[in-house]
Amino acid sequence: MSSQGSSFIDTIKFVIKEALLTGGPRYYLAALGLLIIALYGMYLWIFVQHAPIFLGAEEGGLILTALNDSVPWGIYISFFVFWVGVAAAGIVFGIAAYVFGDKEFKKVAVLGEVQAVAAIVTVLLLIVVDIGRPLRALVLMPQLPNLRSMLDWDFIVLTGYLALNLIGMLVTVHYYRQDKPIPRKFIVPFITIAAPFAIGIHTVTAFISQALTARPIWNSPLLAPRYVATAFASGPAILLLALYLAERYIKGFKVDFSVYRKTLYVIVGSLVVGLYFTLSEVHEIFWYTTEPAKKAQAQTLFLGYHLPYLAKLMWLWIGLGIAAVILGIVPRVHNTKRGIIFVSILTIIAVVAEKTMTIIIPGFIPSTLGEVKPYYPTAIEIGITIGVHAIGVLVYLLLARPALKAVMTHYFSGSGAKH
Amino acid sequence: MTGQVDKSRRDFLKAAAVAASTSAVSFVAVSRDELKKMLVPVNLSDFIAEAAEAGSPLERRAREREARLKEWCRAEADKICSSMGEDSDACREARKRCAMIKVKGTGPREGVRFAMALDVNKCIGCRRCAYACVMENNQGRNLGIEWIKVLEMPREEMEVIYANMDYTEAPKPNMVYVPVACMHCEDPPCTMVCPVRATWKEPDGIVVVDYDRCIGCRYCMTACPYGARRFNWAKPYVPVTELNPNMHILGNVPRQVHVVEKCTWCIQRTRDGGVPACVEVCPVGARVFGDLNDPDSPIRRVIEEYGAFVLKPEAGTRPRFFYFFGPKRTPPREPGAEAKE
Ligand code: SF4
Ligand code: SF4
Repeated sequence: MSSQGSSFIDTIKFVIKEALLTGGPRYYLAALGLLIIALYGMYLWIFVQHAPIFLGAEEGGLILTALNDSVPWGIYISFFVFWVGVAAAGIVFGIAAYVFGDKEFKKVAVLGEVQAVAAIVTVLLLIVVDIGRPLRALVLMPQLPNLRSMLDWDFIVLTGYLALNLIGMLVTVHYYRQDKPIPRKFIVPFITIAAPFAIGIHTVTAFISQALTARPIWNSPLLAPRYVATAFASGPAILLLALYLAERYIKGFKVDFSVYRKTLYVIVGSLVVGLYFTLSEVHEIFWYTTEPAKKAQAQTLFLGYHLPYLAKLMWLWIGLGIAAVILGIVPRVHNTKRGIIFVSILTIIAVVAEKTMTIIIPGFIPSTLGEVKPYYPTAIEIGITIGVHAIGVLVYLLLARPALKAVMTHYFSGSGAKH
Repeated sequence: MTGQVDKSRRDFLKAAAVAASTSAVSFVAVSRDELKKMLVPVNLSDFIAEAAEAGSPLERRAREREARLKEWCRAEADKICSSMGEDSDACREARKRCAMIKVKGTGPREGVRFAMALDVNKCIGCRRCAYACVMENNQGRNLGIEWIKVLEMPREEMEVIYANMDYTEAPKPNMVYVPVACMHCEDPPCTMVCPVRATWKEPDGIVVVDYDRCIGCRYCMTACPYGARRFNWAKPYVPVTELNPNMHILGNVPRQVHVVEKCTWCIQRTRDGGVPACVEVCPVGARVFGDLNDPDSPIRRVIEEYGAFVLKPEAGTRPRFFYFFGPKRTPPREPGAEAKE
């Protein structure tokens, strides 16, 4: 390496320096704001979690959340599902760039890797705040893995995918920074491993709930494909949003319109498939199912029994999903960047509605013994969730700038990055 | 050229020296004992039947826990005694219970396969089993944990989803009462999903949770089709004057915060040849407990005599808790009672 004039360590130093030391006041202000939110979230979490465990205090504990024996998983696991999807879809730009050899996508592929890293960090943190004994988990998981448990597999593939994307991002930065193309020797195996891995993380996450006989509404073979389909709508949508912001705030960074256009195809296609899967599940549940528990849980989900907000979210997904598809195929919309960004935002909202509470909560209401305990997340839970997301966005912000700067050295040589 | 080789060799030696000294320092800093303490809960031998032998890791943990519990209990008792006086009833009770605390690590007996059955015709839905269970198994009083839930179901269709567990009056003539706790399934999904093997099925058929290993992920609660598992959402509190001193390390030792617990068929009693508290307390004798492998056991008799069924057979977990319709309802039903309702 050193014979090439710059070592890998230098690249890491470059990333750290770029992330922390160069930037305008607006950048620092944003980072500071996120940090404050994150710290507040962490403080809330310590208040909930650590008080009884480490300080020996009698109060605190997950009892401060709205979770209970009927609904043991709530908002944390809900958003966990969503962000796994976003991480999985980060690879879309990479596939377009390296599998189909699209030159314009090569300029932005690294952003997908950054997004995957940030999303997985969020995901892992969401698990940490959810489990009751995080330290014990860290000590025991490597020592006593139970390979029949999907949770372990999820942990393995998630950390694997995180490592993979960090490596991908650093290598990209490493070469682009020196104005060299990424060597084929690296990128071919990388994309061959990363692309199936991306599907894999989301599939394994769906498998966590899919095969539980105790929760009939999850018990559908369409759950995993539906996860993946909607993930490939929301992930690229978030990527486009990030691209749009990068174009606005980084001087000299320009993206070809074809990137937006082609990504929109992916989004619309995935939305159609996702909506179709939903329709198929609705049909199974409301036409023929004779399982009382499944029917009762479906009524909670679609008709809003016991928990009106669930049905609202579900219909929001269906409504906004259809709207995004229709708008996405209207020429006047998909011929402008602004139109495409609008469709992306619609898609993100629709998939958040579909992938979060509406996946997890109906599995618990009514519960296995027919108990109904409506779940409304408490302020503390929401605060902790927001704090975790702030950390994720912060990671995105810190990593995206050095990555884009390296890209600019290679592709837009001459122009410097300012905030 | 040679200068370069020398330089790299020197670099290598330097790096080796630094690495050796750091590892030596870290080795001293993290004392072996500390390390062992961190790694104790992983001993795989805990899973096997040999745990019964004295000196097994489980036994050792039981003894350690006993010492700690006694200490805690004495401190609690002192508090009570100083506030209520040395010769108050509460003080004497607390002191007595503290002295009696015994934590066992008894292993399963060879060739035994426990099972339980319940006569749906007899059960009057009085919930006394649930209360006895709370007392026997030191369930956190502040959290309202009850391992046994009694479901009230219509006589025509025993479908769990139509059940009501918040009834206030029983028995009603057109209803049956179906107590539900852990079914100690033959193929338990709850143990399969646990990411750290904190819960498993023992050879005698009891599904146990190791409270020192549970990481509180609640995956097992999500997987159990019978809603049998309970989570300690806060630090559970049991007054020492109500503490049951007869304990088992995998059963009714007071639980920590953020771990999962569930019915263990009173492992502290049954492994010593007794019957669970719910069986003992049931005023109408609706419950039957015994060894499935023993042809003379009462459980075999009722199954052969009346035939039994399980709840949610479609879940495919093969519960070892059976229900059956025995000879008659206790107290006797008045003829025509259904018509009045
Ligand atoms: S009833 Fe539930 S907790 Fe008990 S063994 Fe079966 S699945 Fe596990
Ligand atoms: S809550 Fe505890 S016992 Fe249940 S699956 Fe998680 S670690 Fe295992």
